[in-house]
Amino acid sequence: MQVGMRQWLCAGLAALAFVFTMPAFAADASSGQDQAARQQSQPGNNAPVWRDVRSGDNKYQTTQVRGVESSVLMQPEGETWRQVRNNLVTIYGGWLLVAIMAIIGGFYYWKGPIKLHEKPTGRQLLRFGSWDRMVHWGAAISFILLSVTGTIILFGKHIVLPVVGFTLFSWLATLSKYIHNFVGPVFAFCVVLMFVTFVKDNFPKAHDLKWLAKFGGLVSGEHVPSGRFNAGEKVWFWLGVTLLGLVVSVTGFILNFPNFEQGRELMQIANVIHAISAVLFLTMGLSHIYLGTVGVEGAYDAMRTGYVDETWAKEHHEYWYRDAVAQQKSGGGATNPAAASSMKEGWKQ
Amino acid sequence: MARMKFLCDAERCIECNGCVTACKNEHEVPWGVNRRRVVTLNDGLPGEKSISVACMHCSDAPCMAVCPVDCFYKTSEGVVLHDKDLCIGCGYCFYACPFGAPQFPQDGAFGMRGKMDKCTFCAGGPEADNSPEEFKKYGRNRLSEGKLPACAEMCSTKALLGGDADVVADIYRNRVLKRGKGAEVWGWGTAYGKPEKGATPPAGAKS
Ligand code: HEM
Ligand code: SF4
Ligand code: SF4
Repeated sequence: MQVGMRQWLCAGLAALAFVFTMPAFAADASSGQDQAARQQSQPGNNAPVWRDVRSGDNKYQTTQVRGVESSVLMQPEGETWRQVRNNLVTIYGGWLLVAIMAIIGGFYYWKGPIKLHEKPTGRQLLRFGSWDRMVHWGAAISFILLSVTGTIILFGKHIVLPVVGFTLFSWLATLSKYIHNFVGPVFAFCVVLMFVTFVKDNFPKAHDLKWLAKFGGLVSGEHVPSGRFNAGEKVWFWLGVTLLGLVVSVTGFILNFPNFEQGRELMQIANVIHAISAVLFLTMGLSHIYLGTVGVEGAYDAMRTGYVDETWAKEHHEYWYRDAVAQQKSGGGATNPAAASSMKEGWKQ
Repeated sequence: MARMKFLCDAERCIECNGCVTACKNEHEVPWGVNRRRVVTLNDGLPGEKSISVACMHCSDAPCMAVCPVDCFYKTSEGVVLHDKDLCIGCGYCFYACPFGAPQFPQDGAFGMRGKMDKCTFCAGGPEADNSPEEFKKYGRNRLSEGKLPACAEMCSTKALLGGDADVVADIYRNRVLKRGKGAEVWGWGTAYGKPEKGATPPAGAKS
């Protein structure tokens, strides 16, 4: 436990820093000989044997029962995992989620949704084609399913069980586990598609720094120009979707397939990294969902229909707006499907 | 009331696996699941020692603490039992248990492990004592018949002791005094070193 805790936390941090390695607890392979020698010098002193029991790494340690690590007598890391998961992850993770929800709620109460300043022009621009939207909704729906079911597995015992009782909660948890374990790989696949689809517009640009310094004018209400995606969205793309998406998927796969007989230590570390990154992912995801729905007028329609009004484009993504309009003019309406259909949409209104 | 504990005397265990066999037979445990196992240290070397291990029925049990559906409960005799109707087969109890006691009947692709199974100290489960349902899920309920666990009863060298902690500890103390060695009570620090937790016996099943 004393040895365990520090190595453990280091391991968690290291992996969050994208280094996914296993800390190997010191193997004491020569202790068989140790005991043989001890039997000569001090008959009756079994200390080396008892040291083996704790380390569990002795190659002369055997059993006739088959199973995962069945020849290990004792694994003290289990207790460390319990402490980390039940305290650090559950308590701090839980309060972090409560805090971000309070912040979002408070922001909404204080500022309300961000509305357009000028009148909509009625002219529509294509912002997300059908492929873009399909990939985004695939990822979004699986993300929401995983978030809800994962939350039930981690926090349900403390917040849902006392309300609905043991039988009903066990049902809910069983359902959650099935959904989580089968939708997980779907989400992992969507993360790859998300990356491939949106990476080209997410490379950092110089003007992103200005956006970040002013926090996008989110608080001041000031207009800060940005490309197709603003710096906030780029942070979400790189740190959220890409980094956390990858970490959560890799650790999720480790947890999802115990049939490969991974050891318990790997499972414990995978679980802690999975749960910590899931909580961080959720924190960012909640902010993203807020800004994509009630927080910014017109943002949700962009992802639902694919089109935005020119005013919206100008006020939220000015550089992209200029490019899109220029492209529309030079490309000529008919050859550019975006322009063609946007003309149709515009005509309809 | 008595506090039930297991004790395995490493000076006596001869790795005959009688306890493992007794357990499998008594409870008709499915293929692939072993509630008890014997581990040999320094196999084939001088100073070889064997220890029989199963659920130790810990005082502050890690399995109970991590179970996401809280399906464990503890009897008034300190026996840690669980409700298979509630278990979702997540494997967390296995990750937390110091002794590798929890077992699963399935291979687990996509986390499909089936319901967890472990040593019950021959005390059955939440169903009515000695009912067919209880036997099917948890095996024989010997404690309710006034008998001790089959493994310890069957042990040919009496290395494995199971029963009232005070009695078990007394027997062991006498042995150590007589032979003058082998005083380490294996696993007791880990299993029983902390204050008792969760010993609020529900009258029947948790539901
Ligand atoms: C949006 C992404 C995800 C979120 C928010 C999320 C969240 C969570 C949470 C909170 C837990 C519970 C941890 C605990 O109780 O200690 C969990 C467990 C788990 N997650 Fe995820 N997860 C995500 C993605 C994935 C993916 C992509 C996979 C698989 C490829 C996956 C597989 C698992 C597995 C196998 C478990 C163990 C639960 C069990 O088998 O009962 N998760 N997840
Ligand atoms: S030995 Fe393992 S399964 Fe048994 S009570 Fe302790 S932690 Fe739970
Ligand atoms: S496998 Fe079953 S008993 Fe074990 S922690 Fe999961 S739900 Fe609880």
